[in-house]
Amino acid sequence: MAETVTISIDGQSYQVPKGANLVDAAKLHGTDIPVFCYHPKMKPVGMCRMCLVELGSVTVNRESGKPDLDEHGQPVIRWQPKLQTACTQTVSEGMAIRTSTAKVVEARDDILEFILTSHPLDCPICDKGGECPLQNLTMAYGPGESQFLYDDKQHLAKHVPLGELIYLDRERCIQCARCTRFCDEVVGDDVLAFHERGRKLQIVTVSDPPFDTKFSGNTTDICPVGALTTADFRFGARPWELSEVPSICPHCPVGCNISASTRLDRDSGGKKVIKRIMPRQNEQVNEIWICDKGRFGHHHSLSSNRLQTPMLKKDGAWVEIDWKTAYQEVTSRLQKYGEKVGFLAGPSLSNEDLWEMRKLARRTCRDCQIGLWPATMTGLEAVTQAGVGVGTHLAALGPESAILVIASDFEEEAPIWWLQVKQAADRGAKVMVANARPTKLDQYAKCVVRYEYGEAVEVLNHIAVFARRHDKLNQTLVEGRVDGFAELEADLKGKRVPKQHSEAAELLLDTENLVIFAGNEGLTLAQQAELMQAAANLLILTGHVARPNNGLVAVWPGANMQGALDLGFSAEATVSLLDNPPSMWVIGDADPVAEDARAAAVLDQAEFVVVSTQFMTPTAEQADLVLPVLSFAEREGTFTNAMRRVQRFYMAQTPLEGALSAWKVFAQIGSALPGGDKPRISAALVMRDIAQHVVRYAGMNYTDLAHVETQFPDVGGHDLYYGGNAYANHGGLGIQWATNAEKENYRLTVRPVSAEAPKYEDLTLIPIRLLYNRDVLFEPSTVMHARIPAPYADFNAKDAAQLGIIDGDQVVISAGDLQINVSARVNGQAPTGFVLLPIRLSQLPVPAAPAMCSVQKVEE
Amino acid sequence: MLAEKYPERVAKIFSKYPDKRSGVMALLYLAQEEYGWISDEALSEVAALCEIDPTQVKSIAGFYTMYSEKPKGKYWLQVCTDLPCALRGADEFYKGLCDYLGVKDGGTTEDGLFTVEQVMCLAACDHAPMMQCNFHYHENFDLEKAKTLVDRLRAESAQKQPSSEK
Ligand code: SF4
Ligand code: SF4
Ligand code: FES
Repeated sequence: MAETVTISIDGQSYQVPKGANLVDAAKLHGTDIPVFCYHPKMKPVGMCRMCLVELGSVTVNRESGKPDLDEHGQPVIRWQPKLQTACTQTVSEGMAIRTSTAKVVEARDDILEFILTSHPLDCPICDKGGECPLQNLTMAYGPGESQFLYDDKQHLAKHVPLGELIYLDRERCIQCARCTRFCDEVVGDDVLAFHERGRKLQIVTVSDPPFDTKFSGNTTDICPVGALTTADFRFGARPWELSEVPSICPHCPVGCNISASTRLDRDSGGKKVIKRIMPRQNEQVNEIWICDKGRFGHHHSLSSNRLQTPMLKKDGAWVEIDWKTAYQEVTSRLQKYGEKVGFLAGPSLSNEDLWEMRKLARRTCRDCQIGLWPATMTGLEAVTQAGVGVGTHLAALGPESAILVIASDFEEEAPIWWLQVKQAADRGAKVMVANARPTKLDQYAKCVVRYEYGEAVEVLNHIAVFARRHDKLNQTLVEGRVDGFAELEADLKGKRVPKQHSEAAELLLDTENLVIFAGNEGLTLAQQAELMQAAANLLILTGHVARPNNGLVAVWPGANMQGALDLGFSAEATVSLLDNPPSMWVIGDADPVAEDARAAAVLDQAEFVVVSTQFMTPTAEQADLVLPVLSFAEREGTFTNAMRRVQRFYMAQTPLEGALSAWKVFAQIGSALPGGDKPRISAALVMRDIAQHVVRYAGMNYTDLAHVETQFPDVGGHDLYYGGNAYANHGGLGIQWATNAEKENYRLTVRPVSAEAPKYEDLTLIPIRLLYNRDVLFEPSTVMHARIPAPYADFNAKDAAQLGIIDGDQVVISAGDLQINVSARVNGQAPTGFVLLPIRLSQLPVPAAPAMCSVQKVEE
Repeated sequence: MLAEKYPERVAKIFSKYPDKRSGVMALLYLAQEEYGWISDEALSEVAALCEIDPTQVKSIAGFYTMYSEKPKGKYWLQVCTDLPCALRGADEFYKGLCDYLGVKDGGTTEDGLFTVEQVMCLAACDHAPMMQCNFHYHENFDLEKAKTLVDRLRAESAQKQPSSEK
């Protein structure tokens, strides 16, 4: 256990962690000190004075150095004459506090009375009413009456939009600065601030767009009153009508734990629907935060465009059919095409869906390919060997840790990890960013390495060379468990390491811990595979594996690509399917037609295409049979996040009539094939099958996945005032599967990687990922539309000048057979010779990998 | 644009501080001097110079009363009405001044020449009542003296002469 000190709270002695904040320390032992401005995830400011306590310390005899004792042999405590704010105290040996004496009670009464002088009597119409810290603390501590004149209350604007997502009610604000400090301190987006002072003080934003941060929704959770509310939920329901269902965000590889606030809703025909998404505490994953995509991007589930009945294309027109017929249509064709069937899974299918799809594939033919969409990333082997250690806790990383983010625009691809890495940098962790262009994380990095697109792998190689030359290898591990070292060493030998890379290496390898986040920006599938192996090589050789806070994380696209890889799906299989197209395709929740021209062409040639989908996507349009499936909110399942944590989500919403869970659909189809068994009756039983057959998931089951433990800070209980409105975790903390490095009897393999990069000449187009895009699961959330940019491409100023285009021009980019219409941006993002093109800003495909392109200005 | 028009002054401001954001207050003064008030455009301009979000600049401009976020007249008359001045008749003085100019509290004359405003202590209590005209102190003041000043400034402006008040 960490060092402790002894303090006395209301006459009782307690051991508390040294250096802890007094409010936190008291909380650890069940003493509530009420706070408004203090928040356990932020630095104290002592603004509201709600936390006043009597503070004293043991007096020490100068001569003996021992505490003075009174006649009962108890240490004498010298109390300070005035009350002190507990939130600004750090515990120290011998500290004593009294939290419920008459003096303290009176002070709290007074503070509340003051705060309420300017607070409206809004509770009956306030979104926060029912889960409001001010309401609760007023009930618990308030004087009950005010000496102030009600008529003298000031009246202020009540519907001030802070951008299109968050509203401010000026009357309700108690000026605690939690929201502004969250933006400054936690996120680093200084887009919210106090304006004026005294009674006129108000929260303002003048950024462009207003309240320009991807984390704005969190301010509504930590605001201790109803001053900040979301456009999405305002006046949507009363908190006490809502029942909370644990779920997992379906949008990105972080796998944030969320809580779906649901109720039986009149406007939805009495069905149970999601009214809002709130964060659910999981300190190992998202702590108590979620990004705005996760919070506001749930509307696909309630969209009126959802498909509700299976449909078969007959003579070019859709005909509705029943499920039984649909199953027969598929089974008969699976039997007919046999060997010539290909399977393709999207990145947001649950593990159970994927398992049943894989089973179906195996039953169809022995070596049917099971591909993964998008087919842009791979590297399960590298993760299996050198993935981050079980128990990795980004929120705890500090000066003893180094973090490398390579080939990823981290905030766009994994917002909450970005937030955690940014805060780790604030705490002193050595963050290094390596990319071909500037990204937002650069400003927090100790070291930024710029390479040219295609050279990412070589950066890691150089760091490995440096490690070898400077005695940074973990000899015990290398000699004891590593295969292939000699070959790798031979390959690395003699490489010249540029100064910039050796400086970076020095920084990274000088710490106890090293985590590498690897993306795929600017990389072909083959290069990305090498990048993953290069990262694994480096981590294994330097011994940064098999321990928490060390190892590799891939920044996959989608919420469950890790699960798909774990269950045998791969991008390589997709490539082989596209190279040798099968006659029949079974596609689960993927939209290749909208994303990739080649896939679209291949699918167009197929004889029969079945798609399980929630929407009539371009891929579904082009298919022969569509099977409507349920969203993540309407069923149970598990996702595996990119840190390999398998996490459960539960049924939050009444399932859409006519649609089924994808795993059930695949199981039903499979059951009619020869040798087919009866479909399982629940997702839990499918997980049991998975646990029996997939080594990584061995021993996992729904009960253990639902296991929870008390986390600190203790957020989401009755004491909303303390941590805000994020919910306590009742759905499970999830289980991470262990890497080979962590299993002592496994050997680890390193191998030379090819750093060969094409020499890019002329103009090369680089697809990049944006958080806010027109992905099928996000597009229906219209509340976010203002934040989704119109299709654009970033040009380097030099290239732009040569092409005769300026910022804002409309241009046509031609790459291969594709013509892409976008507006041009010239803002210093793109390196010379490269055009950055965000994917999925429209329903039209763009290249999925770096591609040669030419650009034409569209004349008005 | 300040950076183009006053490159030396801007450079001098930045040279005084270790980082750019610290120059914000001095630049706000410069902006106010140039534009007469701190408009949203001025906020953005200063923000861009200091490399911070305009929201932070707005917060600073709002916190300090010496920055004006509303357009004001060519002459900015600030009358202290805090207690010591009030005891010496500042309230009546202020009211008289408003009446003479024909404006309400905080208002600007129609010709755009004068803006009046009550302010907190300007640290000249021993010479109350007092007033500040474009940051220039007028102490031991009374309504008659104020009227004379107003008339003079009006006349000067009419002749388009450079003002003696800086
Ligand atoms: S809006 Fe809420 S969080 Fe922000 S200062 Fe006001 S009360 Fe505090
Ligand atoms: S960071 Fe990713 S998982 Fe978390 S809420 Fe945002 S989109 Fe969802
Ligand atoms: S002053 Fe301590 S919580 Fe606000």
